Amino acid sequence: MKIDFKINGKPTSIDVDPAMPLLWVVRDELKLTATKFGCGMAMCGACTLHIDGEATRSCSVPVESIAGKNITTLEGLSESAENLHPIQQAWIEEQVPQCGYCQSGFMMAAAKLLEEKPNPSDDDIKNGITNICRCGTHPRIIKAIKRAAEINNQNH
Amino acid sequence: MSTEKKSFSRRKFLQRGAIVFGGTVVASYLGCSPLRRFTAQKAESMDLPAMMSSLQPDFWFEVLPDNTISLKSPKIEIGQGVFTGLAMLAAEELDVPYEQIKVEHANTKSGLIDEMNTGGSSSTASLYEPIREVAATMREMLKEAAAKKWGVKASEINTENGTLLSGNNKITYAEIAKENKNWDIPKTPKLRPKSAFKVVGKSVKRTDLKAKVMGTAKYTLDSELPDMLYAVLLQSPYLDGTIKTLDTKEAEKSTGVVKVVREGELVAVVAKTFYAADSAFKKINVEWNTPNKVQQADLIKFVTVGNGKEVNIQKEGNAKSIIEDNKATVFKQEYRTPMAAHAQMEVNAAIAHVEADKALIIAGTQGPKIVIDTVSKALNLDKDKIEVQTPLVGGGFGRKAVKGLYVEAALISKAVGKPVKLYNSRQQEFQNSLYRPNTHHVLQAKIGQNGEIEAITHDQATPDMLKNLMGTGLPNKILGADFISAGHGASLMYNFKNKSVSVWNAEVPIPIGIWRGVGMFPNAFAIESFMNELAHQTKKDPIAFRIGLLQNDDKISVRSKKVLETLIEKSGWKTPKAEGIGRGVAIGNDRKSIAATAIELAIVEEKIVVKKVTQVLDCGISINPEGIKQQMEGATMMGIGAALYEEATVKDGQIEQAYFSQYPMVSLTDVPEIQCFILEGDDIPYGVGEPPLAPIAPAIAGAVLDLTGKAIRSLPIKLS
Repeated sequence: MKIDFKINGKPTSIDVDPAMPLLWVVRDELKLTATKFGCGMAMCGACTLHIDGEATRSCSVPVESIAGKNITTLEGLSESAENLHPIQQAWIEEQVPQCGYCQSGFMMAAAKLLEEKPNPSDDDIKNGITNICRCGTHPRIIKAIKRAAEINNQNH
Repeated sequence: MSTEKKSFSRRKFLQRGAIVFGGTVVASYLGCSPLRRFTAQKAESMDLPAMMSSLQPDFWFEVLPDNTISLKSPKIEIGQGVFTGLAMLAAEELDVPYEQIKVEHANTKSGLIDEMNTGGSSSTASLYEPIREVAATMREMLKEAAAKKWGVKASEINTENGTLLSGNNKITYAEIAKENKNWDIPKTPKLRPKSAFKVVGKSVKRTDLKAKVMGTAKYTLDSELPDMLYAVLLQSPYLDGTIKTLDTKEAEKSTGVVKVVREGELVAVVAKTFYAADSAFKKINVEWNTPNKVQQADLIKFVTVGNGKEVNIQKEGNAKSIIEDNKATVFKQEYRTPMAAHAQMEVNAAIAHVEADKALIIAGTQGPKIVIDTVSKALNLDKDKIEVQTPLVGGGFGRKAVKGLYVEAALISKAVGKPVKLYNSRQQEFQNSLYRPNTHHVLQAKIGQNGEIEAITHDQATPDMLKNLMGTGLPNKILGADFISAGHGASLMYNFKNKSVSVWNAEVPIPIGIWRGVGMFPNAFAIESFMNELAHQTKKDPIAFRIGLLQNDDKISVRSKKVLETLIEKSGWKTPKAEGIGRGVAIGNDRKSIAATAIELAIVEEKIVVKKVTQVLDCGISINPEGIKQQMEGATMMGIGAALYEEATVKDGQIEQAYFSQYPMVSLTDVPEIQCFILEGDDIPYGVGEPPLAPIAPAIAGAVLDLTGKAIRSLPIKLS
């Protein structure tokens, strides 16, 4: 089935099995590999991306459901490598990543959280993001999200 | 097929390096770091074929045309930040900014891997001297070349920012490397002393940050080869399960399927995309023979002190007979730690391209040498025909030391004649894995009239962790029990007059792997919990009690005492506790890194809530303090999860946890206030990745004891 949608602002058309999970379309068909496979059951959040601005676990979304929609992956979160999204800037400032594998999903979830709560409290962050990290970067994730909020506030 | 010399040779422990100018190796380096020397001495009487036998250069420096320095690392970046640490060490002698040193994994094509696994928190420590020695040699060679060109003495040349300077003369490393053809190799220059360090010891940003926040960092799953196919491997969800009946007819007809490979127990669906392979895989009908019927109760029984072979590993005085003579009055407690999974975020994965006379393997692994050995054997192909490339590794924690999917990927690639990418589902990752074994500990103490501990014994029962790591049961046969890995940390560091420690070798029908901290995790839980109970029993402050037993003047005692004194000060140990707060402490000596933790917690709705963690770590010289803090925080979080939630169990020969939902781990809601303090109690670096983890669980247990008076003796901690 032919499905049209936009990914990172770019109109895209693919012809695949409509039941194919969006994660594999993004990774294997479109070769955008920032979005990771972690569990395939929407439990870990490594595959989080945005569909029409909503943070979504793409491993459990059939591609047919995104026809006509706007997809944003980590590759499309910032305008350019020189002009990073506040979340990415904060992630560098606070030195969040260790192995780095889960971080794309965390950053996409965090970017959405900041849109909804421009000045999140610790509890907002703790209860708002349920992604899994095994290296234990959690304390820095909380710091970085608060730092990103500051960057946002300075920019506005 | 090449044969491997099995006997141990001291030569194998030499560290080798190469210096490359203008694309040619112009100098090689031979050295022996203190850590290797130590390993060599320890290992002399053993056969350690898979882990360590190096005849190849271990690392590689090259000046590139853009004046950056390429450093091929023999150590694997599993997230611990080793690339950054190695760049800093090299920068210290090379006089270039550390960011200008581009560190990447060595690959075996150029014969450049370290044949030791990346693990044991040894990477930076083992390369601390050799990397600087090679960098310093390289600097001196560049100076000699410039001296010849300018007709000055090398001693009149300064190096700065990748440039050689003398009077008005100026040339970059890259320019002289390109221009000069004949290189003199000086004797290894004297290394700059710590007092002159410009980079080492300063907190710097990791070199991999940008790639990891931009999503451009490449892991095995992100790697590709031209014309590559995807495979899904059939794996038994039962331990030791074998195929009873198999029907792949529907799978073969499924869209996009190229072939269903069946060679004995190896069954894999190969298709043009992962989705096609996975969809077809779901159409396979299979029944399993399940010869392994092990139950959880069996594991507890098998792993019990008194069963199996006992190896005494520490004996001072006559502790055993004192305990025996005072059986009725000794303070005796038993502790258990559970089986656990690694649950690293990136599942095991491999890409293989096997051709008639060569093979390429791309695999995120902690042990490239093991990949070569096992693939060589499986394909009956000479080791020098196998190239291994290692992308970044999405978490290891010991799981990626052995038993990746590289052998299976190679066999599948051979069967279809094309490159193949293979990775586990999360269920396979949980159920077809290697596990941290459950352990049992018995601690006994004879407490004297005045509360003094007259004698103490520790018996640990544990399965062998080395067996799978070495690919052979040989070490166990020589050692009797695995006191190197599984028994690591079983010894008592405290100054008891009479002490005795034994490790009991337990046999379990479970594949056992190494897990962050190896034996330190269970042993610190048992020993330090017992120490907390002894302090409680004798009404002493648990830190003062420990300090009282660390009054010797050996380095470890002195450093441990300092760590605990710092912990008292930094954690506010002596300040009044808030209402409803319990405080606990624990310390460990993990291969000479001393880590101690103080924890404050509360119990809210019958649930433990860790409020504050203070970590003090003396890891000798610190290379990148911020990187060390990252590891301390990460170890803290993993330790909290291991203490409160994590447990793998077996039922009817099957690991019961198949999904993240069945294997709870820490999340953002568990984050306490964490303070990390680093001491430099020695003049060489020790490990950082593992040491801060082990004290967490006993410190939590100690805080529960403090708050409730109830002793916790098994993990994960259950309050009711």
